[in-house]
Amino acid sequence: MWNEIVTYWQQEGTIMTPMVSYLLENIWVTLYMTVVSTVLAYVLGLPMGIAMVVTAPGGLRSNHVVYRILDFVANIVRSVPFLILLILVIPLTRILVGKAYGPTSVIVPLVLAAAPFIARMVESSLLEVDKGVIEAAQSMGANLWTIIWKVMLAEARTSLIVGATIVLGTVLGYSAMAGIVGGGGLGDIAIQYGYYRRDNEVMWLCVILLVVLVQGMQYIGTKISKKMDKRVR
Amino acid sequence: MEPIIQIQKVTKTFLGKDNQVEALKGITLDIEKGDIYGIIGMSGAGKSTLVRCLNFLEKPTTGTVLIENKDLSAMTEKELRHTRTEIAMIFQHFNLLMQRNVLDNVCFPMEIVGMKKADARKRAMELLEIVGLSEKAKSYPAQLSGGQKQRVAIARALANNPKILLCDEATSALDPTTTKSILQLLQQINRDYGITIVIITHEMTVVQEICSHVAIIDNGELAEHGTVEEVFTSPKTPAAKKLVFMINPQMAEMRSKRCIRIVFVENSSFEPVIANMILECKAPVNILLADTKDINGIAHGQMILQLPEDENIAAKMIHYLRERKLTVEEVDSYVE
Repeated sequence: MWNEIVTYWQQEGTIMTPMVSYLLENIWVTLYMTVVSTVLAYVLGLPMGIAMVVTAPGGLRSNHVVYRILDFVANIVRSVPFLILLILVIPLTRILVGKAYGPTSVIVPLVLAAAPFIARMVESSLLEVDKGVIEAAQSMGANLWTIIWKVMLAEARTSLIVGATIVLGTVLGYSAMAGIVGGGGLGDIAIQYGYYRRDNEVMWLCVILLVVLVQGMQYIGTKISKKMDKRVR
Repeated sequence: MEPIIQIQKVTKTFLGKDNQVEALKGITLDIEKGDIYGIIGMSGAGKSTLVRCLNFLEKPTTGTVLIENKDLSAMTEKELRHTRTEIAMIFQHFNLLMQRNVLDNVCFPMEIVGMKKADARKRAMELLEIVGLSEKAKSYPAQLSGGQKQRVAIARALANNPKILLCDEATSALDPTTTKSILQLLQQINRDYGITIVIITHEMTVVQEICSHVAIIDNGELAEHGTVEEVFTSPKTPAAKKLVFMINPQMAEMRSKRCIRIVFVENSSFEPVIANMILECKAPVNILLADTKDINGIAHGQMILQLPEDENIAAKMIHYLRERKLTVEEVDSYVE
């Protein structure tokens, strides 16, 4: 199908050939925004999720105030629609990136939107870890760090990877809205050409490419998590 | 001998939303070095809470625990963690790390104390040898049976040469044969390494099998304690009686059924009348009370028997006894 489409455009003449390279280029823009945002969002969201589990009532270092604050932050950021967040954080983006347009600028709102989401995913993954195993580690004299690192994160790794795959898909979806601030990427093209110009072919091509990307991520994520899971007989 | 564990007036109260539960109501108990000490009680008696107080996984509300004369409640977090490396624990559900293989599971406590990886692996292999699982070193817990998992847990527990091994319902998830082999392994560990073992269980058979001493916990209180023999031969408290009778389910089943009182006045003491009756009727009776004397060849006194459930056999027994000129009267379920 890919070849047919490419051939189709090449037959149409020189105008479409730049379109093909434009699309290919924007696959990388999309991947850049998605992957970099997700990684940076994990830098914030992973510790936040861990802190939520540890400070929760009945947690290893139960702390009502800290837990309430984290819980509140996680909820409030998730309740702001991404499109609005994108615009709301423009001043912050200016400070951090120096400009408020382009793919790199989109990373700021993407990270802010994804981090609380990741915190929730991490929280739920870590809560799945058998309390008995944590208790066993405590009985061996393990300190908090060892329990987090070698018990909670290690035991929850398959669930964490499944979570990361879901996060990647979500961030990819959010990145489609990057067009609002001139962010580029496949989603942007789909909106620009498909919605504003009614160019269905370009729109469909973008959609197909996005589907392929998400499928690929999901496939790889599932493969890795299965491979790492030692709980099967 | 100096007790290795001293439980001193330990209470534990759990605060609920609008109520509070007193799990332990002031328990004082000494456990000597080298003992296999059974702590037994019905579920909800507080025994699991008590064992968690021994390594401060649960901090007592009041009272304290001394391990080798060192007060756990006076320790800093760091000192407490160090002490815990000397008090190993095994659990009902094994609590192995599911994402690590058997060898790495056994290495885990040695990682905690910062042992070199090569040394830890070598020691882990030795330990797996002891518990008879060397060939499973590269397997994952999910591939093992319950008994094998508990063996891995025992190997892991021995890793840092503990002085005390706490067993929290360690055999409750296992079938009787596996239970027996795990208990034998625990006994062997106690004998070979002199490790003091504390066993929490609700099964009297476990205590009977390997324990030297037993404490009975009932409703958060220490009902009775002593050597297994003492408590078994003469259980004093209702809680102890209930548990001791549980060993023989038939006996417990026979409670509050049909009872008879037999009075001996003129029978020859040479005639084994009850034994003959049992042989004749081919059914057991339960002797609840026997107070007979042989006076010049004549049996005097009384007996209270519990008859089998089967109406026909019971009737046959009464008939048999009456034929032998005994006074037989039926009594309501006999309670002392």
